[in-house]
Amino acid sequence: MSQTLAHPEASEVESSHGHHTELSFFRKYIWSEDHKTIGLQYLFTSLFFLLVGGLLAMGVRYQLAFPGVPVPVIGGLLPSWLVTSAGAIQPGGYNALFTMHATVMVFLVIMPLLIGVFGNFLIPLKIGAPDMAFPFFNALSYWLFLFSGIILLSSFFAPTGFPASGWTSYAPLSAHAQYNGTQIGQSCWCVGLFVNGLASIAGAANYITTIINMRAPGMKMFRLPLPIWALFITAFLLLLAVPVLSAAAAMLFCDLNFGTSFFSASNYGQPLLWQHLFWFFGHPEVYIMILPAMGLVSEIVSVNSRKPIFGYKAMVFAMVAIGVLGFIVWGHHMFVSGMNLLLSATFSFSTMVIAVPSAIKTFNWMGTVWGGSIKYTTAMCFALAFVSMFVIGGLSGIYMAATPVDLFIHHTYFIVAHIHYVLFGGSLFGVFAAIYFWFPKMFGRMMNETWGKIHFALAFIFFNCTFFPMHNLGLNGMMRRIADPTQYEHLRSQQPVNVFITLSAFALGLSTIPFLVNFFYSIFKGPKAPINPWKSTTLEWTVPWPPPHGNFETTPTVYHGPYEYSVPGLEEDYLPQDQPAPETVRLTAH
Amino acid sequence: MAKKSLRTNIFFFVVVALFLFAGSVCSHAEVRTSDLWWMPEVASKGGELIDKLTYFIYYLTGGVFVLTQVVYIYFLVKYRSRKGVRATYSHGNNRLELVWTAIPTAIFIGLWGYSNHLWWDVLHAQSPPDTMEIGVLAYQFGFSFQYPGADGKLGRSDVNLIGNDNPFGNDPKDPATKDNFQSGVLEIPVNRPVRVRLASRDVIHAFYVPQFRVYQDIVPGRTIDWVWFTPTKVGSFQLACNQLCGSGHYNMKAQIEVVTQENFDKWYKEKTAAANAPAGSAPAQSK
Repeated sequence: MSQTLAHPEASEVESSHGHHTELSFFRKYIWSEDHKTIGLQYLFTSLFFLLVGGLLAMGVRYQLAFPGVPVPVIGGLLPSWLVTSAGAIQPGGYNALFTMHATVMVFLVIMPLLIGVFGNFLIPLKIGAPDMAFPFFNALSYWLFLFSGIILLSSFFAPTGFPASGWTSYAPLSAHAQYNGTQIGQSCWCVGLFVNGLASIAGAANYITTIINMRAPGMKMFRLPLPIWALFITAFLLLLAVPVLSAAAAMLFCDLNFGTSFFSASNYGQPLLWQHLFWFFGHPEVYIMILPAMGLVSEIVSVNSRKPIFGYKAMVFAMVAIGVLGFIVWGHHMFVSGMNLLLSATFSFSTMVIAVPSAIKTFNWMGTVWGGSIKYTTAMCFALAFVSMFVIGGLSGIYMAATPVDLFIHHTYFIVAHIHYVLFGGSLFGVFAAIYFWFPKMFGRMMNETWGKIHFALAFIFFNCTFFPMHNLGLNGMMRRIADPTQYEHLRSQQPVNVFITLSAFALGLSTIPFLVNFFYSIFKGPKAPINPWKSTTLEWTVPWPPPHGNFETTPTVYHGPYEYSVPGLEEDYLPQDQPAPETVRLTAH
Repeated sequence: MAKKSLRTNIFFFVVVALFLFAGSVCSHAEVRTSDLWWMPEVASKGGELIDKLTYFIYYLTGGVFVLTQVVYIYFLVKYRSRKGVRATYSHGNNRLELVWTAIPTAIFIGLWGYSNHLWWDVLHAQSPPDTMEIGVLAYQFGFSFQYPGADGKLGRSDVNLIGNDNPFGNDPKDPATKDNFQSGVLEIPVNRPVRVRLASRDVIHAFYVPQFRVYQDIVPGRTIDWVWFTPTKVGSFQLACNQLCGSGHYNMKAQIEVVTQENFDKWYKEKTAAANAPAGSAPAQSK
């Protein structure tokens, strides 16, 4: 069943596109329908947006450490909605900076890096398919994504500048230009997210169809590598959650521009409706941004420990549980929003329960390294750090899940610390691990390990210097989203901590340089990579570089699960999925 | 081999240098008089209960963190790649999975029970009969407060009546609203329960006092009247808006003065007298 689509298409693609000369430059690099090229298009674009989002964060940190001090060098060049005539960041401009930092990082960096890059690049290669089920939609998805980024960032040139009501855009602030003062920016935000949502939906439908229909013979669902399971579940979350955001963004656009009152306080509008819609999307979104990273990290930990993943099925069921429960916890963002107090009790309960599958995953990662033979590659370092940082981010979440404690730390820097431990120490470290790990298959060359380790050490140290003290600031009662903490008596004594965080954040920003240099240098000058540099078992490591259009010369057959490492009785310590185990060897699972 | 150790040395040198850099920044920080790393001193009854729960979670999560990380790092060192040693071939252990599913589930549900109980006690329980009710109006970008007059009642109010000449939306038909007076400062007597009636004129604001461990969004178009607290310490505090409300959000705050009952009575008498004075004499805005 699973090969019915795969076979004819493979031969067809081979015969029609086998010769690269037949593809024009435009078809090969611009409007490419090859999933690998699209994956790389996503990679370069979202790395660019990562720099944009990172620079915005530097602006945010500069203002918090040095409020009212003119920005050196570039202060005079910045537009008037952002800085005063002296070149210092204005309070409204500060609001715009953190709004766009979060919007860019969530919608243009983490989501496309995890889902766009690794979803596109890995799904067909890992399941033994020649391409995605709908290559045209795939190409469309990338261009819609790029278009949404351009729309969002274009408001920089509007006279009132970027949107400034937070990435959560709570109405009625966001719904009325007389309150937020950024009609054009806020409208761009709505349109940008709407278009971005179309890209996500197209991608998600494509992933689900591909994984269900195009697996190679023998690739049963429980033989899928964990990144594929993670992306599969994530695609369902996208498909169910993103349309809600798109609808809400369209309604907000109407409120803002056509005088409707979906979210107004008057004319029968309901401000809390926005929050319910936003967080009904927003909480699954949190898992959309961490599940793929969990999948990628699981594989990297298993390969580099030379051990099967501990509790493969427990890992899969834990992700399914997270995906399902993720839809009934959104109210924990709204304990103190004015929502019924009884509802808070139920959302607090579901939130406590959803912590369980995350705990299970952590224990299974620890079980995987137990008894292993760990190779400390750069990818492995980032993956192992992911686990620790995710533990911190998970444990700090328990404070907010307890409603009375949330009464105190809601909207403080504690939550800023929490989200960055999950999204930066979690998702982005996972992305770095995955880039170092799959780089050889993407570009046919190896990245430099020494520079990789330097990147890791700097990122790890300065990440913690930047974000750990934010827990303390939060407990000290430092509100998030205030342009000038020194305005408050209880925060004035905290200012040195803010300065320390800012200097660490600058160093963290600079730590990206060794990565970028290593990345671009290695694309052209790195040592040629062997077909399977990490001695890995999954199918993508059986194809040469560059993988031909159509990926596999003959459709592979899969004989066992994805993580058969250190099988007793075999000379090599890994058994690829397309090679049957000799009769003398007994595999204990799958 | 020599090359490798040199590289390791350089690596450690870089790490140490970075820590020194970080340390030097710390040492330039001014000398602190109050708690630098911890919560501001609690100043309300409910806050004391909340702090107990915070400490409980702190020790719980801290214990779990230390335990898991010690085990994890031990594994990472012990099971590093060594020549001639092959990894253990194991796909997992169902009994272990069961154990580490059941234990966290029990802990989390227990924690939910504890915290939900407290949520009820602190926020949802009936406030004592001597509770004083104070109206709070939030707007871009400030707060103002309304006190009941001699009758001790704020009277009926409706957010739909809020306007420039009636900022708190008092119902003119309710005689209890007649003697209400306004203040720019939230003056409250110590050890007396206070209930705040929260309303907003434009966007969502918040009522946040870290020392009281209280946060509540103030949503336009409705009145939120379930937040109450009992201040336990005489002193000055700041009420902060903690919900992004526009370009002036960063500076939207109000002074809170918790005073002794005597001082409060004195202030209250002055304010009611000023409020009842015939029109033309300017009402005193200071406390």
